[in-house]
Amino acid sequence: MAKFKQHATSWFIMLPGIILFGFFLWVPLLQSVRMSFYRTRNIELVEFVGFDNFISIFNRHEFRQALVNTFSYTIWSILLGFLVPIFLALIIGETVRGKGFFRTVAYVPNVLPGLAAMILWRAFFSAESTGVINILLGHLGIGPMTFLTEANWVIPIIVLISTWRGAGATALIYMAGLAGINPELYEAATIDGAGIWKRIRYITAPAIFNLGSTLLILQIIAIFQIMYEPLVLTRGGPDNASISLMLLMWNYAFGGNMDFGRASAVAVITAVILLGFTVLYQIAQRRKVDWD
Amino acid sequence: MKTKFFNLFNKNAPPRTGIIRDFDKKTTGIKVTVFFVYIVCAIVVVLALFPIYWVIMAGFKDLREFMSSTLIHPYAFDFTRYTTTWNQLNIIQNYLNSFYAIIGSVVSALVFNGLLAYGLAILKPKGYKIVHNMVLVSLLIPATIALVPLFINIQRFNMGGFFTPLWLAAGANAINVVLFRQFFLSIPGSIIEAARMDGCSQLKVFSKIVMPLSKPICVVVTIFTVNGVWSDFLLPFLVLGVGQWQTVMVRLFVFSTQQTINNDDLMRAVVFSMVPPIILFFIFQKKLTENIVTSGIKG
Repeated sequence: MAKFKQHATSWFIMLPGIILFGFFLWVPLLQSVRMSFYRTRNIELVEFVGFDNFISIFNRHEFRQALVNTFSYTIWSILLGFLVPIFLALIIGETVRGKGFFRTVAYVPNVLPGLAAMILWRAFFSAESTGVINILLGHLGIGPMTFLTEANWVIPIIVLISTWRGAGATALIYMAGLAGINPELYEAATIDGAGIWKRIRYITAPAIFNLGSTLLILQIIAIFQIMYEPLVLTRGGPDNASISLMLLMWNYAFGGNMDFGRASAVAVITAVILLGFTVLYQIAQRRKVDWD
Repeated sequence: MKTKFFNLFNKNAPPRTGIIRDFDKKTTGIKVTVFFVYIVCAIVVVLALFPIYWVIMAGFKDLREFMSSTLIHPYAFDFTRYTTTWNQLNIIQNYLNSFYAIIGSVVSALVFNGLLAYGLAILKPKGYKIVHNMVLVSLLIPATIALVPLFINIQRFNMGGFFTPLWLAAGANAINVVLFRQFFLSIPGSIIEAARMDGCSQLKVFSKIVMPLSKPICVVVTIFTVNGVWSDFLLPFLVLGVGQWQTVMVRLFVFSTQQTINNDDLMRAVVFSMVPPIILFFIFQKKLTENIVTSGIKG
């Protein structure tokens, strides 16, 4: 009986936290699923319509564009957002004097609020001749360019800005991983005549492989959250060229039409894709190998 | 001829800890690589800091200069431009609002996430694993996905217009629960048992033993929460709307999407939104970077 009382008090102590998680996350997630099967008017569910919301969004140009864009975002974020921090960590790891300074400075952009950074870079990429990038290009004799209205440019630019903000912080994680490598491995490799590239290939790369695969999956998951970046930079344009799934959800729900049914359908599809990546992540976690 | 870079191989230099080691012969190839490393680092410094420097400089320009000048620096450093924008837009009110949002969120994050983690790490009542797994899954599902129904619920319960939902939302942060839990697990069980033997209730153990022992992680959670709440604007925008309680970031979001502001004032507003997090960073820089290294969470 005393034991039961103890369990009950323990649950009681955890209850506020559980209720908050329920209210802010778990219940809304389930509601999303339910709402995606309903026609909605304002905030009310009007009638059950089965898969109508899903069928209708799949028939819409902007949704298919958002799906394609998501893959484009993913590829660019692997090329830039994934590789740049690794490169940064390797480079800063090679410095002797000023290492702390370089580490700190590389981290500074991460301190800025994301929205502020986005507005700042919007001014940088401005198509006017006073846009900072155009000023710099002008010095090289290249005429002013319109970056944010070029369909092929917007996604790489958005990923580039996110990388600018996040790379320093991610590099810190890699640097911790690199610091954990047993120095004797390098020494032994040198005695065997291994140059820098061989050391990177056979010692450094395998040592951070697991960390890298975890961060890669987390990076891809983060890509699916992209929403305010294109909203602030280009409003998803030009002609939906940079619209993301989450931005489409935002537009359906809060863009004036209050189309919560379709917005939920987009959310559910995104959640299903993410669930797939989460499973991948779990598999990657289980395959951890010790390198000592 | 010896440059500063090649002196790095001197005996006085600190030991090398990267891929190139002190036992490497000082061949030309190695020297060139080290030189290249420092060149890249210099580029990184410029890339990281120049945009921030630029926007501060842009804030000294008036609209005409901002729209026509192709120079980085302003014609004159007229600080009154900053103060005028600050007063005209009444930014002080937004600063205060952000401050209110932060205070309540920090309290809520420490108490509710702490209590939940206490249950998951130390009390472990029957069936706690289900909750633990649900928290871990929440870590991988972005909260944005639940935004639409959450907004509807807040409307339905008539909670919009004030900070309450934002404060409570801080109490449902999976990263904080995980951080707290990891730290609580390292507290020796004997201390907690001894307190229980002396007749401490479970809540008393939390407030008198566990939390006081967990100051380092409380600091980290506080910094993350302050930073997160300061930067957040999507949920705050939906909750607070365009009413009197707008935080700095909500104001900036409205400015940036509705084009109701001149570009030069917008740049100054960006600077105003950057200053507190940058100050916070330089105070807690060591704590922040250390935690990223040990926990692998960027916050």
